[in-house]
Amino acid sequence: MTPFTHLHVASAYSLRYGTAFPGALAQRAAEHGMDALALTDRDGLYGAIKHVQACHANGVAPIVGVDLALGPPSGEDDPARIVVLARSGGWAALCRLVTAAHHAGERGEPYVTPGMVAEHATGPGGEARLVVMLGPHSGVGRAMAEGRDDQARSLLLAWRSVVPDLVVELTDLYGYRDTNIATRMLGLARSADVPAVLTNAVRYLDSADHQVGNVLDAARKLVPLHSRHVDSPTAHAYLKDGQEMTRLAVRICGGDRDLAGRLLAENRRVADACVLDPVEIVPLLDEHDPRLHLPEIGEDPVPLLRHRCADGLIDRGLARSREARERLAAELEIIEKKRLSGYFISVAGITDMIRSMGIRCAIRGSGAGSLVNHLIGIGEVNPLDHGLLMERFLSEGRRGLPDIDVDVESARRLDCYRAILDRYGEARVACVSMMETYRARSALRDVGAAMGLPPHEIDAIAKAFPHVRAKQIRAAVSDLPELRDSGLNDRSLQTVFRLAEKLDGLPRHIALHPCGVLIGNSALRDRTPVERSLLDFPMSQFDKDDVEEAGMLKLDVLGVRMQSAMAYSLKEIERVDGRKIELDAVPHDDQATYDMIRTGRTLGCFQIESPGQRELVAKLEPRTMHDLIVDISLFRPGPVNSDMVTPYLEARHGYREPFYPHDRLKDALRETHGVVVFHEQVLKIIDVMTGQGLSFAEKMRRTLGTPAGREIVRSWFVPLAQENGFGDATIDKAWKVLDAFGGFGFCKAHAAAFALPTYQSAWLKRHHAAAFFAGVLTHEPGMYPNRVILDEARQCGVDILPLDVNHSGRDWLVERTRAAAPAPPGELRIEEIGRGYGLRVPFSAVKGVSAAEVDRMVAGRPYTSMADFWERARPSRPIAERIVEVGGFDALYGLRPGEPRWRPGEVTRRDLVAQVGTLDRASSAVPGQLPMGFTERVTPGELPEMTEAEAVEAELSVLGMDVSRHVIAFHEELLDAIGVTRSKDLLKNRNGAEILVAGVKVATQTPAVRSGQRVIFTTLDDSTGPVDLTFFESVQAHTAATVFGSWLLVARGVVRRTGARAVSLRALRCWNLADLDRLWRAEGIGAVRAVLDAPPPEGAGVGGRAIEYGNGFRLSPYSDIGPTPGVREGRIFGRPGEPQRRLWHASSGSSGPPPAR
Amino acid sequence: MSRLYGDPIEVWARDGQPAQFVWRDRLYTVRQVQDHWVVAREWWKTSDADPGERRFWRVEAAAGRDVGTYELRFDTASGGWLLLRAWD
Repeated sequence: MTPFTHLHVASAYSLRYGTAFPGALAQRAAEHGMDALALTDRDGLYGAIKHVQACHANGVAPIVGVDLALGPPSGEDDPARIVVLARSGGWAALCRLVTAAHHAGERGEPYVTPGMVAEHATGPGGEARLVVMLGPHSGVGRAMAEGRDDQARSLLLAWRSVVPDLVVELTDLYGYRDTNIATRMLGLARSADVPAVLTNAVRYLDSADHQVGNVLDAARKLVPLHSRHVDSPTAHAYLKDGQEMTRLAVRICGGDRDLAGRLLAENRRVADACVLDPVEIVPLLDEHDPRLHLPEIGEDPVPLLRHRCADGLIDRGLARSREARERLAAELEIIEKKRLSGYFISVAGITDMIRSMGIRCAIRGSGAGSLVNHLIGIGEVNPLDHGLLMERFLSEGRRGLPDIDVDVESARRLDCYRAILDRYGEARVACVSMMETYRARSALRDVGAAMGLPPHEIDAIAKAFPHVRAKQIRAAVSDLPELRDSGLNDRSLQTVFRLAEKLDGLPRHIALHPCGVLIGNSALRDRTPVERSLLDFPMSQFDKDDVEEAGMLKLDVLGVRMQSAMAYSLKEIERVDGRKIELDAVPHDDQATYDMIRTGRTLGCFQIESPGQRELVAKLEPRTMHDLIVDISLFRPGPVNSDMVTPYLEARHGYREPFYPHDRLKDALRETHGVVVFHEQVLKIIDVMTGQGLSFAEKMRRTLGTPAGREIVRSWFVPLAQENGFGDATIDKAWKVLDAFGGFGFCKAHAAAFALPTYQSAWLKRHHAAAFFAGVLTHEPGMYPNRVILDEARQCGVDILPLDVNHSGRDWLVERTRAAAPAPPGELRIEEIGRGYGLRVPFSAVKGVSAAEVDRMVAGRPYTSMADFWERARPSRPIAERIVEVGGFDALYGLRPGEPRWRPGEVTRRDLVAQVGTLDRASSAVPGQLPMGFTERVTPGELPEMTEAEAVEAELSVLGMDVSRHVIAFHEELLDAIGVTRSKDLLKNRNGAEILVAGVKVATQTPAVRSGQRVIFTTLDDSTGPVDLTFFESVQAHTAATVFGSWLLVARGVVRRTGARAVSLRALRCWNLADLDRLWRAEGIGAVRAVLDAPPPEGAGVGGRAIEYGNGFRLSPYSDIGPTPGVREGRIFGRPGEPQRRLWHASSGSSGPPPAR
Repeated sequence: MSRLYGDPIEVWARDGQPAQFVWRDRLYTVRQVQDHWVVAREWWKTSDADPGERRFWRVEAAAGRDVGTYELRFDTASGGWLLLRAWD
């Protein structure tokens, strides 16, 4: 008997519908002995490439189709649905039909009409390209279910007249009357002479998955779970085996085995007609000669690229360099062999275009290692200067396609996209998409809603969790002290958690990939379906991996906020000082800049501002660009975990002799004192030891990522090195180096591309501090919220100028405040570097202000009075009140918050707030204008002035930052009373001293560390500088909830000297300063001291098994994830008194990509 | 007209289908399965991880000479059968 073929199968890529991934489905089909399998996801081909790959890997022939809604939508019921399969050779027609469906419908609600289907179903020669299946959810099936047999018949005949290859789809999921309907549809098909097939409308791998399916149905429809909202009331829509399907066929045919046999034979016929050639759809399955989808250049690209490179040699002054000419010849040979000349030409055309638009544009990543990229102007980095290798980017043995990445100003990234689309046309280019998948928080939200929990509870529960995977939910509740005691252990939540875990990793919605752009030719839409992104860009339904597998080339255009910030700084310098600075021409050896970096004062700088990086730069003490490249490469989870940092630092500072396994490896290892830091070094070691060339070495390096791979590499490496004349001892030593570090090194080309903006940002901070901070505050490139950046600016001597309706602009502006003091020679004094300049709070910082209001406020300056401002800038009432509260009219009216509060005859901020109310009533109550005299009148001194504390409170709530004073200033008396050490005095403490510190929390991170613990790194800011605290697992039982949940902290810790000028603290205890403050006011200093001296409460620490990597480094399952913003004081509901806006760093705190790739 | 009962009954099954059952002290022999369907339980209303499903059979059965149509229900979680309704 021939095996059964499932023709209607939804995978997890049917968003919020399917539950199984294509790989699992193909594997199950193979286990059932099936030789073909269809994937017919809803609304798109999101899983098609993965399906074809999975089928290929499992020896199953792939069939691809799509399950589409019929439209236009009526707005009432669920739309009828049909399934369309591509016949062999119909892939392009299917792609175009899906594209057309998305073009016709609203975003996210694609539909087709019979006319659209008919248009795509037939080829130019009249041959059928698509098979249309009408099942129980089609109009025909629904009419049948409702007993309108005549209508069903006429619908079927209508379809038959427009579609050449039409079949009726019978499905029986054991629901009430399923068999009856299927039997009658079979009768209808036979009488109309339309073939019928049997499917199982699969959406589960196993029947047990139906609960997940029910939850997805509710989540998709935004309703609580109810039998009414569940799509399939039985658990039978799983991938059944052939025997079960035969039983169903017999059941539908009323026990007639002959009839059932004919039904199944029809399945076979359709399956055979629809089998696709995997290599045609996924060219990279053909390793030797993949048929790529190459851009059209208009002429032969090979001589064109050769000429451009030859010109480049002259332009870059490399024409006489033999090294450059040889390198070029080698690179061109590989490029031409892979037929990629046209790709390079296209990318160069795009980068030229971006630069001609005046947008900062830099190459990043491994592409910087190619000389061709340098010569044709894609990148500015000369790979020969830094010893960068092309093989890391493109090599003969490497499967897959090269990927050129460029960084542009984030604020103008979309301009770049539009320009690319304009030049090449939508038929040839499209953006790449990516699937957002369920993680703990999104899963809890959807399951909570499906289970009918109240929205505010769902919100509190979801926010209580750090950014863990959904399947870690229950483990996190029992492992993490801050969750364990938060009431989440309640039994009633167990079902929610259990189901949320089951959603783990399922695709939830599609989004625009942050940088990928497909560069294709006019046949692009024959190869990928395209839909519209949220911002209306054409977007492929394939993700970045699919795109590559499908043989399409892409360019990554990444928006980098620091580039925007620096561009803004340069404009401010020119505006205020009249100096035009060519940032790319600034020399790379400015000692003043390196002096600042070495003291760890790098807040705001690119790549080196995190607490961990500030500690590392202070230890490493960079003095050259190369040092920065090493620093950036070392600050990755891999190097940190495999302890490459310590040997490097010891050798660098001369505490230890560098170790070289062999003299011939010195060349490769000297630049990093014998420690392998870069991928390029791994390649060179393998090349030297085996003599097999760099392409071979790159292939080996890629294999080093897994323990199994390392064994394979070892089995190649040892004999080759022996043949190459190395002794066993040397080979053993060299292998040890590769084994320990090989999997974790960092691509030097990438680090070199990063180091340049790092240095440039530090240079700007050192020499143009105010303009630098203006750029950082405006574009927010880093990990810290603006109040931290503002405080750093204050500590650098920059004056912070309050909002002023006559001086503030749209964005942060620099103002000259006094004559700049000439920089004194000698030691760096951080508080001097910004002297003479001020930063003006902009209108856009006011909470809730609209862009149109800001435009009017800026355009209307100057203003003569509150009423004048109201009249011409036309702010909304709350915005006007907020502007008064934070002092926007202080200068105009000569106001000053503070004592005395009652000022008879003098105008106060509160008087002006009252006037806003009067103006608002006047302009809304009376048509036309009131006489100016009435609204201009303010009764001065009627209301009391704000205190300084109230003013700062208003600043925090309106602007999200403390402008007039540091918020810690209000607690100084208490802090002095309990003997808190300030940041500026930390260096005076000896190593090992136990001290108290306090401050505003500015950052919390849980990065990967060597011990496999979850370590919490927290930075406090106490107005004299940062205080870095480390909480190890041993103290987290009694500190984690406070650390994550408080804004103002007091902590006790042990001093650790980490570098010549750097100190960090190992924390022992911590308290919420706001609580201590209340206690102090209520009960006095004695009560506070008693709390500080009390022993910590008992409690268990952090649980969870460390993840162990092949080479022995361990990682906490909770490292490198965001903190838990919702947890406060061990309760899950937030305290309303805390500032509402994001005041401290709460990003994932990643120190880089995960290792072992 | 059908009548609703909901009586617990004893059923002998063959090939996964009911073959004979005893209802109100009479033995019925199933002559034909007219319809069979399944309803998954509303698991979200219970605390059980898997409350199972209910399988329904509509059968033509005879007790002696009396032939009628009966609806039987099997609950996978409890393992019990009910006679739900009868057309006789």
